[in-house]
Formats: sequence, C-alpha cells, structure tokens
Amino acid sequence: MAQPQIQPDADTKHEPVKPSPKKKRSPFHFSEKTKDAISGYLYISPFYILFAIFGLFPMLFSFYLGFQKWNGLGEMEYVGLQNFKFVLADPIFWKSLLNTVVIGVIGTLPQLLIGIILAYALNSALIRFKSVFRVSIFMPYVTSTVAVAIVFGVMFNNQDFGLMNVVFNWLGFDSVNWGTSEWGVKLAISTMVFWRWVGYNTIIYLAGLQGIPNDLYEAAKIDGASIRQQIQYITIPMLKPIIILTVFLSTIGAMQLFTEPLVFLGRSFREEGITVVLYLYREAFSNMAFGTASATAIILFVIIIVLSSINVFFTNRIGK
Amino acid sequence: MKKWISMIVFAALLLMLAACSDDSKASDDGESGASGGKVELDFWVFGSAGYDVLAEEYMEEHPDVKININEGEMADIHNNLFTSISAGSGAPDITMIEVSEIAKFMQANDQFYNLNDYGAKDVQDNYLDWKWQQAQSVDGDFQLGLPTDIGPTTMFYRTDVMEEAGLPTDPEELAAQINDWDAYHEAAKQVKEKTGKPITDSPELMFSALRDQAPEQYFNEENELIIETSPYVKEAYDYTTQLIEEGLVGQNSLWTPEWGSAMADGSYATLIGAPAWMIANVKGNAPDAGGNWSLTTIPEGAGNWGGSFLAIPKESDHPQEAYDFIEWLLSPENQLKSFHNNGLFPSTPAVYEDEEFLATSDEYFSDAPTAKIFAEAAQSVQPIHMGVNYSIVQDELILALTNVAVEGADPQKEWDAAVKRIKDQLARQ
Repeated sequence: MAQPQIQPDADTKHEPVKPSPKKKRSPFHFSEKTKDAISGYLYISPFYILFAIFGLFPMLFSFYLGFQKWNGLGEMEYVGLQNFKFVLADPIFWKSLLNTVVIGVIGTLPQLLIGIILAYALNSALIRFKSVFRVSIFMPYVTSTVAVAIVFGVMFNNQDFGLMNVVFNWLGFDSVNWGTSEWGVKLAISTMVFWRWVGYNTIIYLAGLQGIPNDLYEAAKIDGASIRQQIQYITIPMLKPIIILTVFLSTIGAMQLFTEPLVFLGRSFREEGITVVLYLYREAFSNMAFGTASATAIILFVIIIVLSSINVFFTNRIGK
Repeated sequence: MKKWISMIVFAALLLMLAACSDDSKASDDGESGASGGKVELDFWVFGSAGYDVLAEEYMEEHPDVKININEGEMADIHNNLFTSISAGSGAPDITMIEVSEIAKFMQANDQFYNLNDYGAKDVQDNYLDWKWQQAQSVDGDFQLGLPTDIGPTTMFYRTDVMEEAGLPTDPEELAAQINDWDAYHEAAKQVKEKTGKPITDSPELMFSALRDQAPEQYFNEENELIIETSPYVKEAYDYTTQLIEEGLVGQNSLWTPEWGSAMADGSYATLIGAPAWMIANVKGNAPDAGGNWSLTTIPEGAGNWGGSFLAIPKESDHPQEAYDFIEWLLSPENQLKSFHNNGLFPSTPAVYEDEEFLATSDEYFSDAPTAKIFAEAAQSVQPIHMGVNYSIVQDELILALTNVAVEGADPQKEWDAAVKRIKDQLARQ
C-alpha cells in the first residue's frame, strides 16, 4: 500500500549509504533490529498508554497533591508536610489502621485455614458430585461486592428483626448493634470478606493439591504413614508456595478493604468500621480535603511496602 | 512490507482508541447541531422534582429543543458535578444544586455561566430575597443559579397516633396545644405513656428542626465556626439529647429503609421540621397511609430545610437555550404546577396570594390546608448563612447524636469530641 519510491523527500533526507536496487527502500531508514524494537514497543503500547493515563499519572499526581492544600475546586496551596502531620496526629487515622488490621486478621486467617480444609475435602475421593461442590464454593467470588454488602447489611441489621439478631435471640443471646458497636461492625464486615473470598482461596489450594503427585502418597501409605502424617509431611510442605501466594494476596486485599465497609456503613463513616482506604475516601470525597487524602495514600503506600518486605523476609526464611 | 501494513493499521487503531473519548462528544454535539437544528440539553435532577412533565410541555412548545433529564440521588449528582467541574469535562447543560452545596460551587464560579448575563436580573423580583441571595456572589455581580423550591418547615403528624395518645388531631387545635418546645416535650411524654411510641423517630430530624429555626447556625458571615459561642446549635443539641435520653426519640437515621417503612407503619407521632418537598417522600414511602397523616405549624416559627437552584455549567454549548428553559421552568406559574404535582413549594411569593393556591388541601394529609400552612411558614423564615463547610459540621454532629441515641453515649462528651473533630477537619480545608 505504501509507495515509498515516489516520496522524494524521504529519499533525499535519508540518502542510503549502500543503495541496493533490488530491495524496496523504506521511507524511514531503519535497520531490521530497530524495526523489530519499534514493532515490539507498539505491540505492548496499548497497555502502557492506558496505564500511563489511568495508572501512572494519578499515582504521580497524588504524590504531588500530598504536599498541597486543595478542595478540588479552588486554587492549590503548597503546605509542605502539614498534611502528613494532620493525618499522623489524627486518632481516627490510627483507628482506621487498627481496624484494617483487625478486620484483616479475623476476615482472612479463618479463610485460609478453612480454605485448606475445604480444598482437602474436595480433593479427597470420598466426596461425590465434586464439580457441584466446587462450583458452589466458588460462587460467592463471582457476585458483586456491593450486592453482597447490601444483603449482609440487611442480615446484620441493628433492629431485633435483623436475621442475625433473630438467630441470636433464638439462641438466647441479646441483640447486637451490628451497625454501631465496636465488635459488631468488625464482625459483620469480616464475615462478608470471609464469605466472599473463602471459595477463591479454596480453589487455589485445590489446584495446588492436585499438583501433588499421587506416588508420594502411595509411597507414604506403603511405609505406613497415617492420614495426619501424610498431611503434615506431604501435603503442607508441597503446598507451601501456594500458601505463600494466598497469604500475599490476602494481605494486600485486606489492606485495600473498601467496598464492604463503605456500603455497610453508608456515608456515616463510623469509626468502628472505617478502614484506611475508607478514611482516604472520606477525606477526599466527603470532606473535600484532597491534600490530606493524598497524604494518606502515600502513608498507606509506605505501610504496604513495609508489610510486603516483612512478608518477603519470612517467606524467604521458610523456603530455606 | 507486510509488517509495515500491520504497523500502520495498528497505529491507526491506536489513534482511534486515543481519540475515542473526544470522538463520542464530537458526534453528540454534531447531532444536536445538525439534525434539524435541534438543541439538546442535558439536565441533572435529584429528588422527586417532577420536572420531566414540565420538560415535555416545554419541548412541545419548542420543537427545536430536546431536554434529556438524568435523575439521580442528591449526593451522587453533587459528586458527579464536583468531579466533572474539577476535571473540566462531563458536566451537563443544566444542573440542580442544593442549598447546602451552593457555597461550595460558588468557589468555582468561573466554571458556570453568570445568569445575570442572560437576563436573570429581570426576574429577580419574582423570587424571595433571601433565597435569591443564597446563589449570589458576595458582591452581588454573579448569579450562579435560579431558585427552585424552598423548604419552610412544618410538623407532619400521624392522626391515628395522636388520637390514641389523647391529643387533638385537627391541625389548628394541635398547633394551639403544641405551641412551644416545652409543650412538644410534654406531648412527647404523653405519647410515650399512652402508646409507647416515640414522638419522632430520627434524632437528626429533631435536631435539624430546632437548628433550622435559629438566626445563625454553624458559621458566621466570615466563615468562622461559631457553634461554641453561638447558643442556638448547642441548645438544639441539648434539647434533642434530653429527649433521646428520656426515650422519647427513636433511633432511625434519615433516608434508611427503616426510616422509610416507619412512615408507613405509624410507629411514631410526628415528622418534625418537615418541609414541603417531604410530602413526596412520605407519599412514596407510605402510599397506603393516606388519611393517617396530617400537617400543621411547627412550634416557635419555621425554618428552612433544603430547596435548590438550577445552574448552567460553562461546558454547555447552549447557555442561552438552557437559560430560557430554566427561566420558564422556574417562573411563578410553573412553580405553582410543580407544587401541585410534586409538592415543591414555590420560591415566588406572588403565588402565595393566589386564592386557588391558598385553597389547596391534600386528601392524603387529612384535607389539611397544606398550601396555607406552608405559606405562613415561608413568611417566618429568616435568611441564614450556611458556609462552604456546612456538611463537615453537620456530619460530625449527626454522628454524635447517633452515638447518643444508639450507643447511649454521654451527650456532653460526644459534643466535645464532635467539636474537636470538626476543628481538626476544618484545619485541613
């Protein structure tokens, strides 16, 4: 389609050193290697262009915003480290960090433990209709988080007619203020997280379990190992990389917990359930303090780096 | 050669991708400009305003104008408007802005058309002065929006609960009996004793009703926080928490499903401090409770709750057409229609003398003379300065009230904590 010969401009500009009459000359005089490189970059460019616009730019911009005072509409004003001081001196920020960790622990740890048990059960030869169980256990992951939070919000209603309170009363306990009490809110949110993610982890574990060669178990059986010993000495060690993966993913997920508390608490942003990301969101989109919101994001960034480093440190040691 | 072709095709695709967002906008505008000269106006509305009916009427009279109404939740509309104003793209041709948000958008008035340039000065006399000023810059040169409705507050009440409690059910008799807040307190005790029901179900409503009567609220004209020195807000807070502690106020938060269904159940006696636009909410939440509701004058003079403005963001390509439409939509005659259709109370005082208007009664509200009661309330509203950071103070005080109501927290401690949080937050603005 391109007719390079009839473009005298290009020819005169890039006078080829060794003109080979047989070859059609390219309008731009690139070597094969450069062309390869260019096409390579072009192939990967869609992602990088979109990433630069929607990922990189906002990230860099929030680093810039962290040092400004800005309400989103007026003029920005440089305030140095003041935003960081505000955030770090704010008891609600520390409360949100504590909440994030607490909800992370009570939402995630049982998830991983029960995930392994469920995966083991699904993998065993004893259970019939395996695929039915597999699909149904993975189902919650496919649902929309907002829908989950709304449904759980109805179940964990403050009033006596909320489903959880009905069950509690029936068992002889008092009703709990799920929406406003210190542990009620955390338990409700953790339950949502647990319910939604346990299937996801189970499937990952299941894949890991199926990767363990059967001969190992057979050999162990011949040597007279009990089921407990098989789990302890074959299953768990062979699953280690998978466990590390899920711990990593869950840690990051827990630090970024946002939708569940937002929908569950509504725009009240109650202290009992506010997470770091929710704190950040409240600063920006409820209080219109984009400077402190960005400062919070930077602080969260540092916290995640620290946590990941700790993770890497421990997993390296486990690996040896 | 093949490689070049694929690369060129690819680059073209990429360009198309990059140009995508601009593309769609361009074709939109092209359509509105080209197809028979039809002007399209995007119009963002919240609340049950019922402007769609009037827009239909306008479009019939003006076949060259097409109005696309986009209805949403109040908070969503304001958030979307904020984002698009801040980003400089995505704003509609006409938007509704509520009175509590108007000061915020006034800061960005370079992003809106000055309605004075399109003839707003000529219609200024149609509207209540205090309402008009809320959407005006301090120097009076810039008019951000035209007033829609106002929200003079009254007291909605359940006739069945009042009857059970041995209180009058006739609006005038009830207003005569509950003529100040002490009498309201007494009535609350009586309702509680006879029926076991709270006098009102939301701590926020109780508090707002009192606060809205005050001549000053959270900020003074210089935008300084005055809740510690000005007595009114603290008095409203103290009265509310006292009733809460005596078990006379329920625990529902505004706009929750429980709050809505309580309107239908009649699980409380009064919806205190309810403005005219609340009529649509009550009817929507309790379609079958007609005749069980009535309304009367609120003790100690009305305040104003809510009411909005229509503004035209700078992004609009058709400011004149947009202005013509909103001037028509918010004219006294059409505000009267909005009142009859959806209970939006007119901000145009000329209407208040209209015989037919004053004779309006509502079957749903036990044939109470609604228009007359709201019109009287509207006369006693005092203009107040809300300030840019109104919602920060509001949110924290409501949180304190909720803690007192639901968690049984100590009112004074909650107040102090809220004031501290408010100050911390204001320092960041």
